[in-house]
Amino acid sequence: MLGIQSIASYLPKGRVDNLEQADRFETDREFVEQKIGVTTLPRFEAEDSVVSASIAAFKSLCEKVSVDPADIECVVLCTQNPDNGGLPHNSALVHAELGLSEDCACFDIGLGCSGYVYGLSVVQAFMAANGMKKGLLFTCDPYSRILNPEDKNTCLLFGDAASVTLISDSPRYTLSSAKFSTKGAGSEALQKNSNLLEMNGRAVFNFALQDVPKQIKRVLESAELKMEDVDLFLLHQGSRFMLENTIKRAGIPAEKAPIKLAETGNTVSSSIPLLLEKELDSSPGTILMSGFGVGLSWATAIYTQVK
Amino acid sequence: MNREEAVKVVMSMLEKNVEGLEMSEDKMGETLENLGVDSLDVMLVVMDVGEAAGVTISDDEAEALDTPEKIVEFIAKQ
Repeated sequence: MLGIQSIASYLPKGRVDNLEQADRFETDREFVEQKIGVTTLPRFEAEDSVVSASIAAFKSLCEKVSVDPADIECVVLCTQNPDNGGLPHNSALVHAELGLSEDCACFDIGLGCSGYVYGLSVVQAFMAANGMKKGLLFTCDPYSRILNPEDKNTCLLFGDAASVTLISDSPRYTLSSAKFSTKGAGSEALQKNSNLLEMNGRAVFNFALQDVPKQIKRVLESAELKMEDVDLFLLHQGSRFMLENTIKRAGIPAEKAPIKLAETGNTVSSSIPLLLEKELDSSPGTILMSGFGVGLSWATAIYTQVK
Repeated sequence: MNREEAVKVVMSMLEKNVEGLEMSEDKMGETLENLGVDSLDVMLVVMDVGEAAGVTISDDEAEALDTPEKIVEFIAKQ
């Protein structure tokens, strides 16, 4: 059975002081710290790219677990802000940098904040269908490339990061149940226009608070689990206020749902793996992950520890 | 929903969602900003009021609701 074996991440060295940004936008510092919940944002520097950040995440993975590049049969990279406009697909560039075998499938997935939950399922299903044993799921979506420097609603929110998850036939966690949803009619809430990100904060907020809790409850029902059966709830780290209220509306015990975005901001499809990497140290038995954003797209999955 | 019920809903949702805010009739005409309701609180209050009153408030309509009284008027006429 395939599943998550290990995870590693990379944060670029560049940092933006979000409280200084607050001053620039004439926004209350306390509002930025307490409501948005972000004090520092990691930012790509000139030398950073989706490929270099992904490679850095892979190097970090190799410090945790033994990975023989010759064994990798599948590389999937989730981004909507790829290098070279996505042509070639960035997973092929990662493949080249890592010197992987030609017998290795590579493709990119174009999803935002739901991308990690989708990506895990896609990679596992693709690998299972094709008899593969080891694959890599990368996430890296540097929104700094599309931020409008005059738009405080997005500049105060998004950080750059990358992650890599080793999917293998020696898993620590396997998929129990998942749901995937889309509200394409609401996609204007988060879109790129003239190469700049536009966000309707109210629409995204309403979506997160109204639709995500329903999906979480549906996934629990389909897995025949109750809230108390889940040890850890990893929700996409959009903003502190949105998270706190989504958690409250879903009826999730707050102590089981970490909010850790003060030093990272919203890192899009990397936010859940960044959290998961840290939380795996405590070996939670049952983990629910829920990603939601661009699309509007949302996905929730439950993973259980392999005994 | 009549005005009295609408006032009750709006006041209770403001007090529920905005820490330290105590509502009274004489504050209904004040701007939400002056009452210490920040932009994120406003989104939450409008959502909760809409759900409690059983009305849908579009983004454009919500933008215009900048006092408790305007929220009351909006839901009372639905």
